[in-house]
Amino acid sequence: MSSFATRIRAIPSWQVTFGLALLALGFLIAAQLASEGPRIRYTSQERTPLVETVLDLQAQQQHLKQQILDLRASIQDLEATGQGSEAVTRELNAQLEQARISSGLVAMTGPGLVIQLSDSTVAVPPDGSEREYLVSGTDVLTVVEELWLAGAEGIAVSGERITVATAVVDIGGSILVNSAYIAGPYQVTAIGPADMFERLTRSAGFVDFIRARAETFGIGVSYAVPESVDLPAYAGLVSLRSGQVAASAAPEAAP
Amino acid sequence: MRRTSGRVAVSVVLMLLGFLVVVQLRSQAADPGLVAMSAQDLTVLVASLTTRNNQLREEIATLERQRGATAAAVQRGDTSVEQIRADLDRIRGWSGALPIAGPGVRVLIEGPIPGDAVSQLINELRNAGADGIAIGDIRDVPGIVVTGPAGELTVSGIPISGDIELIAVGQPEALSGSLTRAGGPIAQLGARFPEVPISVLPDDSVVLPATDRDLAPALGRPRL
Repeated sequence: MSSFATRIRAIPSWQVTFGLALLALGFLIAAQLASEGPRIRYTSQERTPLVETVLDLQAQQQHLKQQILDLRASIQDLEATGQGSEAVTRELNAQLEQARISSGLVAMTGPGLVIQLSDSTVAVPPDGSEREYLVSGTDVLTVVEELWLAGAEGIAVSGERITVATAVVDIGGSILVNSAYIAGPYQVTAIGPADMFERLTRSAGFVDFIRARAETFGIGVSYAVPESVDLPAYAGLVSLRSGQVAASAAPEAAP
Repeated sequence: MRRTSGRVAVSVVLMLLGFLVVVQLRSQAADPGLVAMSAQDLTVLVASLTTRNNQLREEIATLERQRGATAAAVQRGDTSVEQIRADLDRIRGWSGALPIAGPGVRVLIEGPIPGDAVSQLINELRNAGADGIAIGDIRDVPGIVVTGPAGELTVSGIPISGDIELIAVGQPEALSGSLTRAGGPIAQLGARFPEVPISVLPDDSVVLPATDRDLAPALGRPRL
């Protein structure tokens, strides 16, 4: 035993450092290889700049969305200070505020629930399709539609408000909502009545969805019913680009 | 000499170590969904994000013009009623609270298909930039859902029978091209329901009714 200790003490310190560094190196190589999990299937020179471009465009999008929200708030303030016929201006501003709320242009809070959808952790069988084990745009759309049917009055998916113009699109196993890239797990947040969850779980469509996706492919479906949930404002295009309003219900201005 | 070579070896290993730590941290920071995408899918994503960002810039330009006009009116002491009314009409038309008219397409489904298939077509029309959509004479707004098996469809509880017509206001070429592209929704539905013809007809002028639903929230309140 004492000869072993003597031999250890005889090892030069640089060799100990070297050994520890090699150990850490081995650990990092193993970690790097392990992080390249089953979802990574592609290796090519052009992918890295493309991923960087996507990240850059996403950052730009966040900035543009904030600009839109700021501009809307600024216009709203100006409109409220208008000098026209006071009664008509007040009435129109009230209608405008209500229209913004009803259209999803205002962030909301209220009672509701959150459904989270996550990719399956079940191993894909050799003859299986990997896509079936990932949450798809159709899954998200199904949950959104089932929540509407269960009485939801406002919904957002991972920070993107669902509006009249919202499309949910699949691209290569990932999902776009309002043309914004959304990373999983996907949180579908809904404001609605207290019995919304009961209504949802009683719906034949939702039961079919659970059977087809959660039970068959292991798609993760979890839920939470917090005291209140928050929905962000929609920050996107609110313009008719090809069409025009066919009639106006707004009151006439006083002469 | 032996001591120097040992130091060199330690330095090389430490440099490698540092490099790998950075690589590891960067790979953990990148979204796993993005990392898993093919170059082709990433290209589609870049195109989609670019289109969206351009639309957002368009919206910003519109809002800046609107702010300029409203600010000028306020400064002159003029009425801002017309600006408010225009803003109100724009939002109500977009949201489905007012009828809208313009060029677009009619999508005729001549046979029974289930609700999810109709939803797929509506989702594609939205993705192609439709200004508004109607299922027959029912305006598509949040909360409107087409459900049911083929031949027994309901639109938010109201049964619909016979052929289904989707009407959309928007650029006819863009809407039609998106629906009928190779591998697109009509091709997919054609494979699922080969006996059901689905046609897309461009139209110079279609009219969408206003929704009869109350879009105002009853439970939620604005978040300050």
